Amino acid sequence: MWHSVAVLIVSLLPGAAMAATPTQTMAESLLAALAKTPPVSTPFVQVSYRGVLARPLIVSGTLQWLGGDRMQRDIDKPFNETARIGDGELSVQRGGGEVHRMPLARAPQAGAMLAGFRALLGGDVAALQQDFTLTADGGTAHWVITLTPHTESLKRQLASIVIDGRDNEPRCLTVSDANGDSSITLVGAMAEQGLRSAAPLESALAARCRNPK
Amino acid sequence: MNSGARVALYCAWLALIVAVGWGVARHLKISSDLRDFVPPARSADQKLLLDEIGKGPGSRLLLLAISGAPRARLAELSRGLDDALAHDPGFAHVANGGSDLAEVASDLLPYRYLLSPTLDTHRFDAAYLRAQLQQRVEDLSSPAASLLEPWLRRDPTLETLKLAQLWAPQRQPKLADGVWFSERGEALLVAETRAAGFDPGAQAAAIASLQEHFAALPGAAGAKLAISGPGWFGVEASRNTRAEADRFGAITTVGFVIMLLLAYRSAVPVLVTALPLLSGAVVGFALLALVFGHAHGITVAFGFTLLGVAQEYPLRVFSHRRIGVDTATCVRELWPLLATAIASVCIAYLAFFASGVAGLQQLAVFTIGGLVTAGACTRWLLPRVVPPARRDMAATPGLATAWHFLARLPRPRWLPWLVAVAGCAVVVLAPGGFWQNDLSALTPIPTAELQRDARLRAALGAPDVRYLLVLRAKDAQGVLALSERVAPRLRKLVADHAVDGFELPSRYLPSVATQRARQSRLPDRGDLEASLQQAMQDLPFRAGVFAPFVADVEAARTLPPLTPAGFEQSPLGTRLESMLVRQGDGWVGLGALSGVNDPAAFAQLSRDTHGAAHLLDLKASTESLVVAYRHRILVALGVAALLLCAAVTLALRSPRRALHVLGPMTLATLLVLVVLRGAGIPLSLFHLVSLTLAAGLGLHYALFFERRTGDEREDLRTLHATLVCVASALLVFGVLALSSVPVLRAIGLTVALGVAFHFTLSVLMAPAAHLRALDGSLPDSSARAESGTGPDPASPNPAPKRGA
Repeated sequence: MWHSVAVLIVSLLPGAAMAATPTQTMAESLLAALAKTPPVSTPFVQVSYRGVLARPLIVSGTLQWLGGDRMQRDIDKPFNETARIGDGELSVQRGGGEVHRMPLARAPQAGAMLAGFRALLGGDVAALQQDFTLTADGGTAHWVITLTPHTESLKRQLASIVIDGRDNEPRCLTVSDANGDSSITLVGAMAEQGLRSAAPLESALAARCRNPK
Repeated sequence: MNSGARVALYCAWLALIVAVGWGVARHLKISSDLRDFVPPARSADQKLLLDEIGKGPGSRLLLLAISGAPRARLAELSRGLDDALAHDPGFAHVANGGSDLAEVASDLLPYRYLLSPTLDTHRFDAAYLRAQLQQRVEDLSSPAASLLEPWLRRDPTLETLKLAQLWAPQRQPKLADGVWFSERGEALLVAETRAAGFDPGAQAAAIASLQEHFAALPGAAGAKLAISGPGWFGVEASRNTRAEADRFGAITTVGFVIMLLLAYRSAVPVLVTALPLLSGAVVGFALLALVFGHAHGITVAFGFTLLGVAQEYPLRVFSHRRIGVDTATCVRELWPLLATAIASVCIAYLAFFASGVAGLQQLAVFTIGGLVTAGACTRWLLPRVVPPARRDMAATPGLATAWHFLARLPRPRWLPWLVAVAGCAVVVLAPGGFWQNDLSALTPIPTAELQRDARLRAALGAPDVRYLLVLRAKDAQGVLALSERVAPRLRKLVADHAVDGFELPSRYLPSVATQRARQSRLPDRGDLEASLQQAMQDLPFRAGVFAPFVADVEAARTLPPLTPAGFEQSPLGTRLESMLVRQGDGWVGLGALSGVNDPAAFAQLSRDTHGAAHLLDLKASTESLVVAYRHRILVALGVAALLLCAAVTLALRSPRRALHVLGPMTLATLLVLVVLRGAGIPLSLFHLVSLTLAAGLGLHYALFFERRTGDEREDLRTLHATLVCVASALLVFGVLALSSVPVLRAIGLTVALGVAFHFTLSVLMAPAAHLRALDGSLPDSSARAESGTGPDPASPNPAPKRGA
């Protein structure tokens, strides 16, 4: 859940002013400048590292924000899947098969996350700060915004969301789950460049996200 | 008796009433259990209705909507209320869409392979497991991955989630901020009370505690909590009825006091009039407490209404007092007539006692006890507390003129017969239903509230309050097996739009037979490990990651099947508990239905199961009970009328005189029916009881007008007494007839009309001889024609002769 929502957030970050300001203010000024008009879309590549899996799971496709509380994620490889969030519901359709629906309420954290995401695109930092503590670091060549949940229900599932970017462009989104699993999603130009290995090491991929070059 | 002694006795009397009343209030249980009120159930469905009414899944639900604040705060309030109610022992279950059913299902984790239908159609072989694991790989990159991952090692086929989906409401409101919201932006919740839906006392307590919880939530001040559902309607109806009755009670009390002051020019009647009635009431309640220990609220309401005739006893005494004559002497002179009235009515109510219906027996005990006590108090206590009379009511200005006016009215002998025939014709031929069987029609719910209820019910997919699917079998397992058998039929009915949704007991717990069949299809450890290894080839899962799954399947193979008792320990237990009940020597399953569009479509299902599964229409069944109750009341009233005729004839020792008393009573009762029927008002039980009260009052009018005293002044006192009685009854019940609450309007209108007709007819149909004695020169031929009878020596009250 985090992955897609957070990926969307970061992918839609427009070029941010990278003035060297104290972290809290920097995050605020970064986010305050992010208001966007839907619909917006970006390619993505998501690499998941999970405890039950012996090797990382890689999927790629397109992410879209359709406005309001609606978003959509289309996976093209290695299988076809369309996931939609809207009207308090998550629906997943795989390969033209049956549509599986579930209330977002089954993952109440997702609802809060969605609210945060809307607040973010609306430039409403205050709303985002209801659920997350924001910190920002770095400079023009590489900047990082970290979202750490501070509500109990979010903390049970999510450790942090880290957004890496360069200049005017977000590059990577790293979501760390509370159970130690994680995923790294490349967006924008990074996603277009693609992966350099069929099973990239987590550390190697993370280094690539942070690499100012 | 000096005035000090009188005041002391008055105070003692009052203190005794208060003391007995206080004691009775502590010991008499006013129940709302329908079984105390209606006749014993005859059909199995009636029995089920009486045992289970209000306990059914639909009737205990309260639908809640929170509005009037920003969405985030509404969601916060919804969560707060959900949490408070979950910890309130008055509530069995509460839902706001925010709960995670997977967590609930995890309580039954070991049983998942027995409860989930997967094994009915599949086996855990290599092919099935491979297909499942492949889907899990894809799931792990889906947005729902974080939901699935905690289950994966133990439950790679996701049986827990299948159960959670199976148990989730079939239709849910939209979710926002993690909780249910209506289209209008209200946060929605459903709460299930432990108390039965038609137990107003317990529902009022539950609702009060719910409102307290809400008010105590932070930020609740600006928001509005709307409640709906059968329990709320019951509480609202009784609150509205009581509020209006209290308001009218205050108005009529003031009016009554003013009237007494005007009529008697003395404060004494104001202070004393209520005492015999109150004494009768507390004795009636004490008898109920001693004999039955409890009484139904409606019985008490009926009894109190019927006891209203006792209000007349002291008024008669006050009107008949004379200057210089001891009050006790005046009462002694009146007593034969009063005693005749009391005895006749009490004998008549014996018929109620013989009816065999608990509610009617309680009514008889209360009314007879109350009337006898009120009569005795009037006869022996009242004269000792009132000071000697200082006025003769016969001297009231205008009274003689009124008497002459009444005496001069034309009295054609054929008129009563014409009225009787025409009245019967109207009663029989008037269009519209004769009876009102729907008791709730008397305390209707405002349309706006009904519309809101329908809206919330549809939004929440809450079950229908009116219909239940009844499943009968010898034992609980039989009910569950039947439930499994009819489930496909109901799915067909849903597809045919005969019903919008259903919820059967087997949805939560399959029968032991089904669980055993699933168990027998579970592979043993060796087979499962081999299949799993084959299935995992080329998939990215770590080796050995599904060891907990293998262990769980192995354990499930030897698990004793889950029984209803076992399931009821789980968080969903209360739902099954309310759907699976023991009745007599069998078991009954109660299937909840929502949106029953075509009740007739269930007939085929009933035929195919030989009635074991059938639709129960709670409304029709309740009405059939009301019809049975009314039938008993009518029989009792018929017998009571015969007994009354016999008693009056015996007391007056003359059928002809009895006819003068009973004729006006009968005709007046008929005329009330004519008005009600003519106005298209269907008759309810409350109308019947009101007619009986009016007839009791009419008996007094007729008896007193029939009395021949030969004393002009005594006749004037009789007229004074009757006018005061009629005016007070018209005041009390006429005001009630203006009520907006139909039950109060029914009582008020019927009694007020009755009093007016009884009075008019008692005057017009009284033997003309003594009426005319004052005005012998009346040129009215029809009145003269009736003048055959002279003063009757057998009169119960021959005491004051004319001119004495």
